[in-house]
Amino acid sequence: MKNRLKVLRAERDWTQAELARRLEVSRQTVNAVETGKYDPSLPLAFKIAQTFGQPIEAIFHPDGQGE
Amino acid sequence: MTKTLRRPFLEHCDNPRDVRNALRLVGYFLGWAVVYTGASQLIKRELVPAGPISWFLAVLATLAGVVVIIAYARFLRQADELQRTIQLQALAIAFGGTFFGIAAYEVFERIGAPRLDIGDVSLAMAFLYTITVLANTWRYR
Repeated sequence: MKNRLKVLRAERDWTQAELARRLEVSRQTVNAVETGKYDPSLPLAFKIAQTFGQPIEAIFHPDGQGE
Repeated sequence: MTKTLRRPFLEHCDNPRDVRNALRLVGYFLGWAVVYTGASQLIKRELVPAGPISWFLAVLATLAGVVVIIAYARFLRQADELQRTIQLQALAIAFGGTFFGIAAYEVFERIGAPRLDIGDVSLAMAFLYTITVLANTWRYR
C-alpha cells in the first residue's frame, strides 16, 4: 500500500518524531509506514486521517493506483 | 541514555514511557536470571540441604519466571502496533524454529547424534527470538 504521509507531514513541517507524538506511536512506526514497509492497522489509519484532517482514501492507496 | 545504546536495541523507544517499559522488562529479566542462576547453582553444588530449602528455591525460581511472563505481557500491551508485530514474529520464529528443530534432531538422535539437553533447547529458542527481534528492528528501522 502506498501513502502520502511524507508529503502531508512535510506540508506541515512536522518531523517524524512530532507526528509519532501526535499519533502516540514510535518514530520507527511512522518511518515504517512512510516508506511502505509496514501497513498500519485500521485504527491507526483512522488516527492518521484524523490528524491530517483528510479521509483515509486521500492518504492511502492500494499498490498500482494513483497517488 | 546515549543514541549509541538506543540503536538498535531500543530503536522503538522514542519517548520516556517506551524507554521505561523496555528497561522495566530488562530489569525483570535480569532479576529472573539472578534468581534462576542462584537457585540452580545452590542446588547443583549442594550448598543447601536437600529438602524444604531446595524446594523453596526451585519454587522461587519458577515464580520469578512467572513474574517475567507477566511483565512481558504488560510490555506487549503498552507497546505500539509495529513493536507488537515485531514481537509476534519473533515469538513465532522462536517457537516454530525450536519445535521443528527438536523434531528434526530427534531423528538424528536415533542414528547416533548426542542426546539433546533441555538447556540447549532454551538457548536455541532465546537465540532465535533475539535474532528475529534484531532483524525486524533493522528491517523496519
